[in-house]
Amino acid sequence: MTGGVAARDTPALSEIGPRRLNRMLTTTGLWLDIGAATVRVHSDSSIFGVQLQTVYGSFPAIDDASWADLHVRIRRSTGLRRWLNPQALFQCDGLQAFDPFPAARPLPLFEWGCNWLIGRRLNDRLLLHAGALERDGLALVLPATPGSGKSTLTAALSQRGWRLLSDEFGAYDPSTGMFQAVLKPIALKNESIAVIRGFAPAVVIGPEFPKTRKGTVAHVAPTSDAVMRRHQLAKPGAIVLPRWEAGAAVRLEPLSPSAVFPALTFNAFNYSLLGAEGFRSAVRLVRECLAWRLVYSELEEALEAIESVWPRVLEHRSTSPD
Amino acid sequence: MEGYGRVDGVLVEPVGHLWAAFSPTSGETTLLNDESAAILEVLESGASDTPGVCAALAQDGGLDSQSLFAAVAGGWPRLLEAGLVYRLSNAAVDW
Repeated sequence: MTGGVAARDTPALSEIGPRRLNRMLTTTGLWLDIGAATVRVHSDSSIFGVQLQTVYGSFPAIDDASWADLHVRIRRSTGLRRWLNPQALFQCDGLQAFDPFPAARPLPLFEWGCNWLIGRRLNDRLLLHAGALERDGLALVLPATPGSGKSTLTAALSQRGWRLLSDEFGAYDPSTGMFQAVLKPIALKNESIAVIRGFAPAVVIGPEFPKTRKGTVAHVAPTSDAVMRRHQLAKPGAIVLPRWEAGAAVRLEPLSPSAVFPALTFNAFNYSLLGAEGFRSAVRLVRECLAWRLVYSELEEALEAIESVWPRVLEHRSTSPD
Repeated sequence: MEGYGRVDGVLVEPVGHLWAAFSPTSGETTLLNDESAAILEVLESGASDTPGVCAALAQDGGLDSQSLFAAVAGGWPRLLEAGLVYRLSNAAVDW
């Protein structure tokens, strides 16, 4: 866990040159403070540094800190293979948890590897598989199974005044009753990449990686505001279960606490592991949050629907106890 | 008549019009209707059987005990399966 490890005068990753970044990656390591956790990463891949700068550009370039939750290494493969089919390896605590990726794609490997580690290790929080954003001090949580349009909707909201907390984790801290940011780039897949480029032309999207196991993948960089405020917590506000359906007219249907409770627990990485603490957290969330099921095909309509009910969320939370 | 006890540490909370119950024995969470939640509440003060639970609920709600029999008798399998109650006769075997 971290309470913020960067001094105010630490330059952003986009502000340092590639040589300095590569020196950090090969010596001290780069300490990426993503809000709820700090990832210390080493790498001997120069292309990894370049890719990292495109989507973590607003993050402080920290080369020393007192604590990291995850210690990872992106390494180039060695031996004869490196001449024939160069690969990138993901290691954590010296162990290789995944099959290697082609050497040209270290960023997706780093992202998937870190998400996997976070989902297994941050077990003092209830980790929902959800997009999470903040406005007015309240969290909007979008729990969903893969393929539901969660990341696309999260990316769209993050470009329209909602502060991104996470694309992958609704990280609820039972000890504070608040959501924390697990701020990493938003992973878009296939058609979603062009959809978001069209929706928000100013959005910063990193390189496209074709032919991954999920098709073509590209990552949306968190805004500098989201990075700057990554330690600001958010009270539970609303839960929206999104589902993208081709051609569907937008529908936003209220959900009762008993209807949203199973969806919440089903979409939690570590609900069973947390036992009674997970149960109490889920009960608290469904009591405190208003909830809806959202079916949509057009992003503009989906955002409009969410905006239209947000005043009710504010009113609900202003009258309900914390 | 078989008797049943409530598993220690069971948590029961209202969520909307249903009840969420967590069993520390099975680690599972189950959504319950009012009848099943009421059975668990009766068992909180000690183990009982179907007539005993019916009598307690009838007294509390001003109902006819016989009218509750089917609902209570039918509630045990689900509560057992969810790890929320145990059979008194072979508790050591089950849990």
